Amino acid sequence: MNFIDILIGSAFLLFLGALLATLIVIISKKLAVEKNAQLEEIRNHLSGANCGACGFAGCDAFAEALYNKKITINDCPITSKQKKDEINIILGLSGENSQKSEKTYAIVHCNGGNACRDKFDYHGYGDCKTAELIAGGRKACYTGCLGQGTCVDKCPNYAIEVNDKGYSQVYREYCTSCGLCITNCPKSIIKRIRASAKVYCACSNHDKGKEVSSVCKNGCIACGICAKNCPEKAITIIDNLPVFDYDKCSGCGICVKKCPTHCIKEIDKIN
Amino acid sequence: MEYFLIILGAVLVNNFVLNRFLGICPLLGVAKSTETAFCMGLAVIFVMSIASVVTYIIYFYVLVNLGLEYLTTVSFILVIASLVQIVEMIVKKFTPSLYNALGVYLPLITTNCAVMGVALLNIDTGAEIVIDNVLKAFINGFASGAGFMIAIVLLAGIREKLERARIPAPFKGFPITLITASIMAMAFAAFGGII
Repeated sequence: MNFIDILIGSAFLLFLGALLATLIVIISKKLAVEKNAQLEEIRNHLSGANCGACGFAGCDAFAEALYNKKITINDCPITSKQKKDEINIILGLSGENSQKSEKTYAIVHCNGGNACRDKFDYHGYGDCKTAELIAGGRKACYTGCLGQGTCVDKCPNYAIEVNDKGYSQVYREYCTSCGLCITNCPKSIIKRIRASAKVYCACSNHDKGKEVSSVCKNGCIACGICAKNCPEKAITIIDNLPVFDYDKCSGCGICVKKCPTHCIKEIDKIN
Repeated sequence: MEYFLIILGAVLVNNFVLNRFLGICPLLGVAKSTETAFCMGLAVIFVMSIASVVTYIIYFYVLVNLGLEYLTTVSFILVIASLVQIVEMIVKKFTPSLYNALGVYLPLITTNCAVMGVALLNIDTGAEIVIDNVLKAFINGFASGAGFMIAIVLLAGIREKLERARIPAPFKGFPITLITASIMAMAFAAFGGII
């Protein structure tokens, strides 16, 4: 063994490593991009899951949009409430100005399923997305849940299932409100709803009563009984569907009892 | 003519992923949508071009003169890794828009074996087309990156179509991607013998 050769070799590598290390250190000092301290702090308070549920390319992009006041903190579905409040404090939004942060869940605005008429028989392969390509799927209602489980496939937490009545249903204890079912539902009948909401309308069909009742027994016929009987005046019929003002709603449940097609449901009862 | 042969050879005949089977990891990992695949391809072209020039100079002007050829691999790893770091910092400082497009992918290819491969093949004096000056090394690096980009964008396009296709459950995901890549490799093998 020639020790001189080994020495030369290691000395060369040591020299090369040291040279490159100093270069990197010098360049990183010289070219340091100034970072915004507040932005960094917001970024550190976000969950950091980079899940993309907000629609931005990761938490960094979300923090930047938040810092520029383009969006509100509630657009992030998974950061905890405590952290959201802390971010509000960082942004100088406290007390009255603080953006209300409340947990949300996904909910399916359809209770048709087997009660909804079929346009044609369909046998064979297909999730909702592919089935929807053929004349909008087999359901006669244009917003009817096809019950072929695209949302079930997409849900990372197994929080949504097609129940025995033939439509999808969200199980809240597992739902993180990530929005994958919402974006993947070809009928766009899954939406986010506040955790505090007591009732919801399980129908998305904007047609008039007669047309709805001709395709589905459980659809909303826009009779307006719920709006008339609501003691808090929290319901308005817009485009043939009831719209709830959850700030006013007291959760008395009168609308649920009065609804002739039982398409207004109490959220606690469906799970 | 020689330059043309280098380009043709690197892009089609000796395509890095489909013929030499280097850099398979990003090929499978990043090729989910054509958009990200395209950005990744650009980043690879960028890094390969710079890495070929720098490693070529280091090998022929430093290592050969010192008689330390046996340290080629180790010193190339050192040089390429720190080079990518430095380039990333420079790009971040001076062209933020380029950084936004390539930024995520640059660290991913720091130690990509395709980059290492092009550096080592550039100094291979026994090859069919000998790279004997820095310009040729640069062209070879650029063309190899372009070949990588072609392969990754094609594969990403096919994978986007496969998302909707009816695939037997055991083949879903990576198995079908590997099969697709192998069929693509067979197709590219048809270019063999042109040079």
